[in-house]
Amino acid sequence: MARLANLETEYPVLDSTVRNFCASHGIFSVEDFLIHDLYMLAAFAEQNNSSERLKEGIAQVLSIIDDMHQPWLNGMELLEDAKRNKHVFPTGIQGIDLLLGGGIRVGQLTELVGPSSSGKTQVCLRTASNVARNHLVLYLDTGNSFSPQRIAYFLGKTINPSSAQAKNQFLQKVMSNISCHSVFDIFAMFDVLHQLESYLRCQDGRGDCQMRLLIVDSISSLISPVLGSSSTQGRALMTSAGYLLKKLAHQHNLAVLIINHTVGGEGGYSKPALGDSWKCIPHSRLFLSCDRGSNNYNVSILRHPSMASGKAARFVI
Amino acid sequence: MEIWRLPISASQRGKLISAGYTSLSSLSSISSSDLARELKVSESEAMNILKVASHSRGSETSNASCSIVEGAQSAWDMLHDEESLMHITTSSADLDNILGGGIHCKEVTEIGGVPGIGKTQLGIQVAVNVQIPNDFGGLGGKAIYIDTEGSFMVERAFQIAEACIEDMSEYNRFLRKDFQECKIKMLPQDILENIFYFRICSYTEQIALINYLDKFLSEHKDVKVIVVDSVTFHFRQDFDDMALRTRVLSGMALKLMNLAKRFSLAVVLLNQVTTKHTEASFQLALALGDSWSHTCTNRIVLYWNGNERYAYIDKSPSLRSASAAYSVTARGIRNSSSSCKRIKMM
Repeated sequence: MARLANLETEYPVLDSTVRNFCASHGIFSVEDFLIHDLYMLAAFAEQNNSSERLKEGIAQVLSIIDDMHQPWLNGMELLEDAKRNKHVFPTGIQGIDLLLGGGIRVGQLTELVGPSSSGKTQVCLRTASNVARNHLVLYLDTGNSFSPQRIAYFLGKTINPSSAQAKNQFLQKVMSNISCHSVFDIFAMFDVLHQLESYLRCQDGRGDCQMRLLIVDSISSLISPVLGSSSTQGRALMTSAGYLLKKLAHQHNLAVLIINHTVGGEGGYSKPALGDSWKCIPHSRLFLSCDRGSNNYNVSILRHPSMASGKAARFVI
Repeated sequence: MEIWRLPISASQRGKLISAGYTSLSSLSSISSSDLARELKVSESEAMNILKVASHSRGSETSNASCSIVEGAQSAWDMLHDEESLMHITTSSADLDNILGGGIHCKEVTEIGGVPGIGKTQLGIQVAVNVQIPNDFGGLGGKAIYIDTEGSFMVERAFQIAEACIEDMSEYNRFLRKDFQECKIKMLPQDILENIFYFRICSYTEQIALINYLDKFLSEHKDVKVIVVDSVTFHFRQDFDDMALRTRVLSGMALKLMNLAKRFSLAVVLLNQVTTKHTEASFQLALALGDSWSHTCTNRIVLYWNGNERYAYIDKSPSLRSASAAYSVTARGIRNSSSSCKRIKMM
């Protein structure tokens, strides 16, 4: 929030008398205003000579603050929103869809955690190819692992090719719905999400093919270089990234899928990376693992808003 | 708190926040001299901060409607680009088969194995093979060889280069039926000239070099492969702070990914092995830990099976898990000469 001095251009009520009065109480910015006791401030304003101007100034700052928060919603409105907008997207992998009761949910942040080579990227590619049939998909890739070949393979399996040309047209139509962007540091990711936000704001008015899936593969590669040093900036970046993704998911009806890796924990068990601060940020967390040398994968629920955690299933890619 | 998102130093960020500027919009209406005065920094620093802030804001307003975000490519375009990408052959047909043609460009491939299995040999072979001219199905590019252990032997590279040229002449003789003298004009010396060799003696030198490669590659655009032999050596001893090691390694991996993507080259990282104690048994695993194993695009593990050397694809976004046998000969990496050399699919 800006200093009161800078707000004067927009709100001429906050002129120098108001500001001097506030300064005499140690208030220089809107944040200071929030921490201060407003009753006391109003009482002091009463006693001052130009009390009208001061009270107008205080009321103005309060109305600016009021504009900042999200509108209130009641339970019925939330339910309406959930029924109309927050659908479930099947991933296309039977085991996972059965486990999750349909698939990944719009409006929620779903995290796939697992040791190296446990199928996380493959699940993302499969989900992207499934959702792209009807909606737009954005894939943010940090490890150059986006494989259009695999997407074409998954799509090829699902249709009966009447002719090579028809298959080509189908592939072109669906694969043009998937956009892939490489990001190699966390600030670049914030830039991209910022651009995405303004794109989605324009999109909400239009009715045609809309973006419904955002995949970040993998967010842990972006956060690891900044997390854990003596400054707290890394953790702040991590939590603000998490909140931004959740905000995009809820406000613009996206399903967000992110990938995390595992590190060694006590007793030799792997635990998800990024630590305890990250643990509560995603809405659902799925743990993937692979049986060595075969095509069988296991998935278990670590956290989910509506399924019991600990449930597990097997799937094949 | 949008100030967190700006790539500025921690002290500048601290000064901005203590002066009351916590969002990007609060920086929009102030001039650089006022900002310099309030933050008590130099005017050029203040101008820099404002430039970074307006860049972040500018990307919000200048949003073209054709692509969702700038720089994104659709999967359909990428499919066609991928078909035209060349691979770097390893000179062993079986190995090339399981790799889908060879080492992929635009990807980071990690190759690990026990000592003596042939990692350095494979690295030298790749550095030579990237120079095979386009006429013979190669990339015709140069190579960067980053040596951290001192295991690069010039005489061996010369031997492998000679063998490569001899193979190319063989190929020439078989396939070009015209009786003109299409002699290979390449000499082993030329091949050695096109390998840029860097010797690294500490981890700080390693990081400095990876940072410097950006500038180097802008000047030498025909480099098509970077071989790091080995990426582990300076990170195993001398590191007390494991958290620092993880941060440094993840940062380095991202930079290498960036180089691979921007300059369309292949990055080959050679890694060592360590023992992992899981469930009361000891297993060999690649060094540098779980966080590092997540950062590469592809991973190939080299191991002994009886008397044979085998390569196994451990991680890949598009290749099936398979293993193939190969051998290290006087001429370099070649197919294994045993009788039952079928590719084992997993």
